[in-house]
Amino acid sequence: MHTRTGAAIVLDTLESLGVDTVFGYPGGAIMPLYDALYDHRIVHVLVRHEAAAVFAASGFARSTGRPGVCIATSGPGATNLITGIVDAMLDNVPLVALTGQVRSTVMGTDAFQEVDVAAITHQVTKRNVVVRSVDQIEPALRAAFRLATSSRPGPVLVDLPTDVLRAFEEARAGAAAEPAATRERPRADAQSLDAAVAALQRAQRPVLIVGGGTRWSGATEIFRSLAARIGAPIASTLHGLGCADPGDPAYIGMLGMHGWKRANLAVQSADVLVALGMRFDDRVTGDPAKFAPNAHTIVHADIDAAEFDKVVHAHVKLHGDLRETLVALDHRLARVTLPSFEEWRAQACAPHEQLPRDDARDGHLSATDFLDALFAALPEDAIVSTDVGQHQMWAAQRVRASHPQHFLTSGGLGSMGFGLPAAIGAQMAHPGRTVVAIVGDGGFQMSMAELATLRRHELPVKIVLLDNRNLGMVRQWQELFYNARYSATALPDNPEFTTIARAYGIEARLVDHAEASAPSIKRMLQSPGPMLLHCACYPHENVWPIIPSGKSVDDLMETIPA
Amino acid sequence: MRTVTANDGRMLARIIHLAHRFGCTYTKVAAQHTGADYRMEFAFAGPGDALRRLDAQITKLLDDDRETMG
Repeated sequence: MHTRTGAAIVLDTLESLGVDTVFGYPGGAIMPLYDALYDHRIVHVLVRHEAAAVFAASGFARSTGRPGVCIATSGPGATNLITGIVDAMLDNVPLVALTGQVRSTVMGTDAFQEVDVAAITHQVTKRNVVVRSVDQIEPALRAAFRLATSSRPGPVLVDLPTDVLRAFEEARAGAAAEPAATRERPRADAQSLDAAVAALQRAQRPVLIVGGGTRWSGATEIFRSLAARIGAPIASTLHGLGCADPGDPAYIGMLGMHGWKRANLAVQSADVLVALGMRFDDRVTGDPAKFAPNAHTIVHADIDAAEFDKVVHAHVKLHGDLRETLVALDHRLARVTLPSFEEWRAQACAPHEQLPRDDARDGHLSATDFLDALFAALPEDAIVSTDVGQHQMWAAQRVRASHPQHFLTSGGLGSMGFGLPAAIGAQMAHPGRTVVAIVGDGGFQMSMAELATLRRHELPVKIVLLDNRNLGMVRQWQELFYNARYSATALPDNPEFTTIARAYGIEARLVDHAEASAPSIKRMLQSPGPMLLHCACYPHENVWPIIPSGKSVDDLMETIPA
Repeated sequence: MRTVTANDGRMLARIIHLAHRFGCTYTKVAAQHTGADYRMEFAFAGPGDALRRLDAQITKLLDDDRETMG
């Protein structure tokens, strides 16, 4: 009779669940699991900080749709995961975090590296569990994966005391895996679907808003088909980018605080709004009381009933898996005739709209010009991750992602330090694809130790560092809303980033004038290995347009007020 | 008054934290371990909109709770 340790059961169960890659950092309480990893088929990516493990797992999940797995030890290892866990919760990323725990007999005694991570993460996970015995490991992991991916996806944490990992269990040779206990999925009811169709039949100025729920339900294809059938202008949330075909003439771009003016104006003029898999985030709505004031009907489709009427009242609620909802809606729409929205679409799409930008750059490189050149050069299937800040919004405004899994960004939590590790996760999942991390000088310095991870695993991630020697987004807000009192946002003492990259054995190049952009991008994309482009940018370039926080599109700014 | 049944007894704490987050107070909290699960009774007070959102969140949490975790 074979016997396995709890640690071996963890890895065997992960493997049986389709896991081939995990991201982590070892430590005392989790050592039995690392001992089992030593000669296991699952690939372990050693990061340099646990925060990078969870962001890398998130990048893996966001770029594949499959759960990402991260591992940390007890105490500080576990607490270092928390930002990434919250990030996954807010962005609906399926994630399973495995944490070591002190041995069962000393739990509750303030033992070395003991922390009650289950209590700490209780509010920010879909669920967590402390595994109390070896026979609970497999069912706990199977439930964790089910829960992470079911309904609205999110993070689940499994806490593994070290004695449980070391304990032996009699293997159940040939035992069949337990069937997955699936919950009944909600389905949009016929009456609501009919009401949605009727609203579109009555509409004169409808707008579709596509959100992140579309990507997680695998509804991109049916969404595009449905959108073509309706023929209304399409706006996107940050997480919906890539769901609409960026070449679709009905696509009017990202909505919200830094969205395209035409997208915001279209929503304000719309008489019927169809919001798909989105949650009316405050960065989208601004002042909810002034959001879409002309919409007599708002149709809201979501898997999570708690989203209905949370921020914006919906007249028609389609509660269900979005892909199934859209299929049902498409069937109904195929049997009716909708009005032509051609004239409205032509008006809303404003094809010649350009993003406003700062012209006075004192001869410096413009970050937005650089991004325009970068996106023009990237292959269509390139995966782009961003960090958080100005560069993130510039990228979101400009990216022409052909699929939602091609653009990875921390939207809900806005976690600086996300960009590089997320790119690592994506590159592990897609070894043959071009993966680019667009980062700022603030966020990059929160995770640049992961250059070592690139080197260790020979990952050809391309890093575009837009260095304006400032915490740019905060600086911009200080300029616009805090009387230009630049408190703690200047970074004049940034290091020489190319030297740092080279110290890790990574090719690096400085780009400090516009003419160097195109050849540097070309060189980077041709490089077989990782490469950093350090772009020394104009420090005062702002993100335009901007709708000030809590305001409406009436307050949209396209330049600094005179 | 809302009566709920949960596999995870910690749901009590999670619901109370949520109520605080939404600016609600609780006027009654009671819990009993019934053997297989926990039966909890809550009564909340607060703004109507917050109470409605709290109720929706509790329903969601209980849906997730139905997944047994070993």
